[in-house]
Amino acid sequence: MVQQMAQVGKLLIGLWMAGVTIVMFLVIPQYEGLGNAGRIIIMHVPTAWVSVLAFAISAIFSGLYLWKRKPTYDDYAVAAAEGGFLFTALATVTGMIFSQVVWGIYWNWDPRQTSIFVLLLIYAALFALRAAIDDVQRRRQLSAAYSLFAFVTVPFLIFVAPRIADSTLHPNCVFIQGSTCDGISLDVGMIGLLGDRKIQLIGMEREGDLVTAEVIVSEPGLSGETTLRPSFNLATGTMADRPEFPGLRYQLGLEYVDPSINSGLLNIEAPGTGLLDNQITLFTFLASIAGFTALFVWMLNLRADLLGLQWALAQRDGGRV
Amino acid sequence: MAGHSSTEQDPGLTLTTQQPVAQQRIVDLLQAAWAVFVKDLRIELRTRYAINAMVLFAACTAMMVSIGTTFIGLRRTEEALLIQASLLWIALLFAAISGLSRGFVHEEETRTLAALRLAAPALAVYLGKFLLNLALLALLGLITSLLFIVLVRVQVGSPLAFLGMLAAGGLSLATSTTILAAIITRASFKNALFAVLAFPLLVPPLIIAIQGTAATLAEGGWLPALPALQFLIAYSVAMFVASLLLFRFVWEA
Repeated sequence: MVQQMAQVGKLLIGLWMAGVTIVMFLVIPQYEGLGNAGRIIIMHVPTAWVSVLAFAISAIFSGLYLWKRKPTYDDYAVAAAEGGFLFTALATVTGMIFSQVVWGIYWNWDPRQTSIFVLLLIYAALFALRAAIDDVQRRRQLSAAYSLFAFVTVPFLIFVAPRIADSTLHPNCVFIQGSTCDGISLDVGMIGLLGDRKIQLIGMEREGDLVTAEVIVSEPGLSGETTLRPSFNLATGTMADRPEFPGLRYQLGLEYVDPSINSGLLNIEAPGTGLLDNQITLFTFLASIAGFTALFVWMLNLRADLLGLQWALAQRDGGRV
Repeated sequence: MAGHSSTEQDPGLTLTTQQPVAQQRIVDLLQAAWAVFVKDLRIELRTRYAINAMVLFAACTAMMVSIGTTFIGLRRTEEALLIQASLLWIALLFAAISGLSRGFVHEEETRTLAALRLAAPALAVYLGKFLLNLALLALLGLITSLLFIVLVRVQVGSPLAFLGMLAAGGLSLATSTTILAAIITRASFKNALFAVLAFPLLVPPLIIAIQGTAATLAEGGWLPALPALQFLIAYSVAMFVASLLLFRFVWEA
């Protein structure tokens, strides 16, 4: 009965993932400015999510093993690490393909690339450690300790490293509409930095309820300048005209103007057809995350069972000899 | 009446007796740790195995860099400072990896692990070896930077901040690798495995240490290096606490 249910579950996951793949290529609209390459996000982000999830699960089972000393927990920790390694490799490769197509470079030591590279190294180190210790008990205990020790670095990788390094190619707050980039408040005549562009607020004019700001935007590396005129409606308190940055799909918005019209809050905004703005895209994305997570859990259980079986067989044979 | 008074006295009694006991245990632990440190230092001073390996490695690297790229010492651009800082930390990293596992591997080679396990509590062993690694790294850091200043013509713009950066970087090296040395004593291919296990854990602090050191090579004082120092100290504290919690399991394995 349980076996039949497992069979059904396996088939369901297969159908689910096939559906996600078909929708990903045929149904969802292209992302403006990225073309067909943008579709890879449906695979890339979920695999990256699963690789971090796998790492956490591996650490949890390592901790459980050190606490309870049940071999099953170690089997699960190993199975999670192996699955995680696979998904980390997939996330890296899909990211590299996208990076080459859209940004023209496979690898540029972006903070997120650095962290996933370290994650790959940690998995590899864990397997090397397991291979180098003969005694089973000792192997389990030492690799569990290393797994937990390595897990301590994760918060530093995820939260701290991207904040210290200066540049990233990864989409940030700008990418998803409705999320909050902080923007920058400038007095008239002041210079500020928005994303990787230098901006200068030259002046603001009021016509009725409409305040129009004159902003000089410099290209990265100060290779060129453009003047943009975003505006703000004082009566409704909303942005009116949001011009696009030159050569980019992002818009410059004037989010707030102080009553004396001496300073304004400027922000970078995603264009109207945001990637996750589209309902079908959003649901496909979520379905893909759910599907990959289910796939990982199935792989985890299968591999852990197999490891337990191997161990039982080895013990039985050892007993005979 | 008598029972009433005894219940009143009890909490006071336990408080006054338990506190010295806890304090005494910490003092005992620290004394044991110091004894382990002094023992290892004495062994190290007799054989000078780790010091020789580390300093010779650093000297070789400094020589190679000096022969190959002296001209970068003359430039003061941002890139040149980053290159100098990277080379310095490459020398420090590989020198450290060649010597820092010595404390535990030596015990395994001379078959004194079991005796040490009987003689001292696990935490004392960890703290003793950690102190030894810290001392080795302090010496290595000073010697390597002197070699780089002399041979590669590195000019240190903010000496105090530079020393602080070396100390913080050394601290994160020592906190991340001491427990790994204990892990690899029972494995085969010890030294190669030590490097493999240590490298992923050292990538984040080394990136930050290189950037921070480059900032201290310029004449900016403490301020530009402050975020890097904070990161390294936070990283060291996290790794140190994790080591204290996990060392028991490694030591009894």
